[in-house]
Amino acid sequence: MIKLEQIHRDFQVGDQVVHALDDINLEINQGEYLSVMGPSGSGKSTLLNLIGMLDHPTSGRYYLNGKDVTELDELEEAQTRNTNIGFVFQAFHLVPRLTAAENIELPLILAGISPEERKPKVENALELMHLTDRAHHKPEQLSGGQRQRVAIARATIMEPSVILADEPTGNLDQKSGHDVIKTLESLNQKDMTLIVVTHDQALGDRSHRAIRMVDGRIEQDIKNSGRHDTNQ
Amino acid sequence: MIRTNDIVVFGWQALKGYHTRTLLMLLAMAIGVASVLMLTALGEGARQYVRGEFASLGTNLVIVFPGRSETAGAGFGTMMGVTPRDLTLDDARALTRNPDVSRIAPINVGAAEISWQNRKREITVMGSTSDILKIRHWKMSSGSFLPDHDWDRAAPVCVIGKKVRDEIFGAHNAMGQWIRLGEYRYRVIGILASEGRSIGVDVEELVIIPVSSAQALFNVPSLFRILIEVKTRNAIEGVIQFTKSTLRQRHQGEEDVTVITQDAVLETFDRILGALTYAVGGIAAISLAVAGILIMNVMLVAVSQRTSEIGLLKALGASRRQIVRLILSEALLLSAMGGIIGLLIGQAGSWGIREALPDLEAYPPMWATLASFLVAIITGAVFSLLPARRAAKLDAVMALSRH
Amino acid sequence: MQIRDFLRLTGTSILAHKLRSFLTMLGIAVGIAAVVLLTSIGEGIHKFVLAEFTQFGTTLVAINPGKTTTMGMSMGVFGTVRPLSIEDAEALKKLPFAKSVVGFVQGNAEIEGNNRSRRTTVYGTGHGFPVAFSMPVRSGRFLPPDDPVAPRAFAVLGSKVKSELFGNVNPLGKLIRIGGDRYRVIGVMESKGQVLGFDLDDTVYIPLARGLELFNREGLVEIDVMYYEGTNVDQVVTGIKRVLMARHGREDFTITTQQQMLDVLGSILDILTIAVGAIGGISLLVGGIGIITIMTISVNERTSEIGLMRALGARNSQILSLFLGEAVVLSAIGGIAGMILGIGIGQLLAVALPALPVHTPWTFVVLAESVAVFIGLAAGVIPAMHAASLDPVEALRAE
Repeated sequence: MIKLEQIHRDFQVGDQVVHALDDINLEINQGEYLSVMGPSGSGKSTLLNLIGMLDHPTSGRYYLNGKDVTELDELEEAQTRNTNIGFVFQAFHLVPRLTAAENIELPLILAGISPEERKPKVENALELMHLTDRAHHKPEQLSGGQRQRVAIARATIMEPSVILADEPTGNLDQKSGHDVIKTLESLNQKDMTLIVVTHDQALGDRSHRAIRMVDGRIEQDIKNSGRHDTNQ
Repeated sequence: MIRTNDIVVFGWQALKGYHTRTLLMLLAMAIGVASVLMLTALGEGARQYVRGEFASLGTNLVIVFPGRSETAGAGFGTMMGVTPRDLTLDDARALTRNPDVSRIAPINVGAAEISWQNRKREITVMGSTSDILKIRHWKMSSGSFLPDHDWDRAAPVCVIGKKVRDEIFGAHNAMGQWIRLGEYRYRVIGILASEGRSIGVDVEELVIIPVSSAQALFNVPSLFRILIEVKTRNAIEGVIQFTKSTLRQRHQGEEDVTVITQDAVLETFDRILGALTYAVGGIAAISLAVAGILIMNVMLVAVSQRTSEIGLLKALGASRRQIVRLILSEALLLSAMGGIIGLLIGQAGSWGIREALPDLEAYPPMWATLASFLVAIITGAVFSLLPARRAAKLDAVMALSRH
Repeated sequence: MQIRDFLRLTGTSILAHKLRSFLTMLGIAVGIAAVVLLTSIGEGIHKFVLAEFTQFGTTLVAINPGKTTTMGMSMGVFGTVRPLSIEDAEALKKLPFAKSVVGFVQGNAEIEGNNRSRRTTVYGTGHGFPVAFSMPVRSGRFLPPDDPVAPRAFAVLGSKVKSELFGNVNPLGKLIRIGGDRYRVIGVMESKGQVLGFDLDDTVYIPLARGLELFNREGLVEIDVMYYEGTNVDQVVTGIKRVLMARHGREDFTITTQQQMLDVLGSILDILTIAVGAIGGISLLVGGIGIITIMTISVNERTSEIGLMRALGARNSQILSLFLGEAVVLSAIGGIAGMILGIGIGQLLAVALPALPVHTPWTFVVLAESVAVFIGLAAGVIPAMHAASLDPVEALRAE
């Protein structure tokens, strides 16, 4: 579970200080499905990067699974990211010279897991994402939806507790976008916390809990129960 | 038609946009040019040094020594100057008859122990005549040189070098003192001014006595060398012929001496050092080729990174030729600037060499300056041809749609 | 991260830009080739010169008259008030370590024989000469161990003098004339060829005492002592000094051991080789700058990839080692190519110009490759540190 206490994140722009996050207090339980919405520059992405430990708060505390992670050193941080957090980006961020399978394999490689152990995991992930026949294709040979599914496979290969998705459907057509969302939601049903940053109201409405941010503050935090159609 | 001025500005802005890589490429070119300059400056300095040394040994000199070898070049046997038939003072005297000869100095050398009171040391002794002073351009520090009288007179006088004076006499006045060499005693009549540099013999550690005295001291009837100073450069060849024929006549028709000119020896050194300078400069120039490869590499990267920019230029009506010119002039600008920086560093480095080694007139020769700069520019142009052609061939539609 | 994964990741990024990687390696290859080739030539000349010297054996000590030397040469050779004598040489023969003692006088004289004549180098020397200088006799025999003061008028010809004067005629037993005296030819030497510019075949050997007489010299030019192998050189020098000091009453001679000469010569040639290699190394330096440039470009291009790796949990040190590894692999492969190029050109040179000695020792090969790897490391450090220090959030935002 995630717990943010009085989180501030300031940026120096020129001689002005911009408060990207202004006194954020937030608790997210394991297995929650949360959407973060708000206008551009409201601090959504900063919040996501902070939860993913790519960014650090100017002040405040961040507890992940009961542990204060603002105190971690660079190495522990990297390990935590590697094992506990999965990122999905709007721009996919696949390494262009590596195949789909190799891209999915990257977190395992960074963790130092042996090829024998990796192989079944990667095959399993490919199968789950219906990408088995695309395993040896380079990103440029894949469609947008396939690319994002590779990215999701890569984000989940370490079986993290949290998936952070920043506009996961932003670069996709409606059909592929819908497929990607279904995939992410099915992971949420396996008790992975899912946090989605989005502009898309329809997408926001699908989540169990919707946060609305304005000027670095949480303006609204509502539960929308029952809107999430699991049968579709 | 696009104006040259605009091309240069365009290229300069492109280079400025990526200052790290631009600086690195400039550095690479500059190292190449500067190393060619500094190494050739070193070689040229060495050449000038040797020339200076030879000039200080005398001008328009013909050197005669006993012995002649039929194998090409002078073997050790001839350099030793030992033959059954002596090269005598009379032989040397016979050579003075030529009107083109201005001065002649017969020479003997050997080692002996010099002693005065309780001090003694081993020393090189040269036997010669009064003319040697002018032939060798030596200067006196005090007293007078060997008197200009009959060569056969073994006068008991000597002229000593500065270091000999310091070591043997210390604070005492050396002039007029009697020193001992082997079995003989000589009166010091002069002290040579110290000479900064000399290949040949070290004047500072020399004792000079009349040639007849030296022959008696070492008990050798033969001369070691005869130095002939010729009045004009043009007369040298005639004097050589005269010397050979005169000595052949005096030696029962046998040619048993070697006659060489100082110029010939200098030529040899000059050629060797010149060749070395070229070789060293050439080896350093390999680095220019490596810098050229680097420029090619970076320009290739630049072309692929600026694909959309090139597509845009095409859409705006740039011709293939203009694209090629743009890329080429960017590379030329780069190599020219690298070259100029290299020239400056090279000149500074040569100045550093001159400061560190004051004896060496280490100025980069004109040919090296021009050649290294030209090679820098030409490599820049040649190695950017491929990237430029690649850029020109880009399909405008494809290029624009890349981003 | 496991080693093979590390290598695979590095490999894919190098292969992703084949032309670029090739040109970067080419830069290093040209530099390494220049260094390997130039030092190979230097080393070849080194070996060649040392071989020229050691063919006379390494257990030689030379004694020249006079104590001071000018430009490495004792002035006493030309004239001295205290010459070395035949008796000095005889006295040295009594030293226990002296395997062979040979006195020398040398000069230039006209030789007549078989109705032909030739100016050549004449050596006055003794019976021990062929042993001391490992110069074998081809036919007949060398000068006999006669009374050193009054030897018989025998002469031994160098192979060139033999062929110039006698052609195919057998010279043994024939009379020749040197400087007015008649000598009987008793032997012909094996051809030795040119050694450092001196033609050792254009020579005639006569007994020492007769040489002194011929050239009207009082003293010997040189005495060479060949000592038994295994003797300490210092002991030899001290022994010689003691004998000659006792005879002359002072130290008025110069002793040069072959070992000293080889050492001095060797160090001069080593310096030359290093200097030439260093000049070639300028190209290597420029090649190194090439690696820095390309790695800098590479880091810039892959900024977002670096951001992604960080998001996937890569550590700073992993990013650092990935980029360092890339630089090292580029320069290591360039280095290997350069060595093959350098050795190949060296071999071609050796075939094309047999006079130019070329030799590439294995230590050079290992050293050159280590230098290449080191250059890769040094050149990769700045770009790799830059990559590792990138802010992941910024990096992910980069296109």
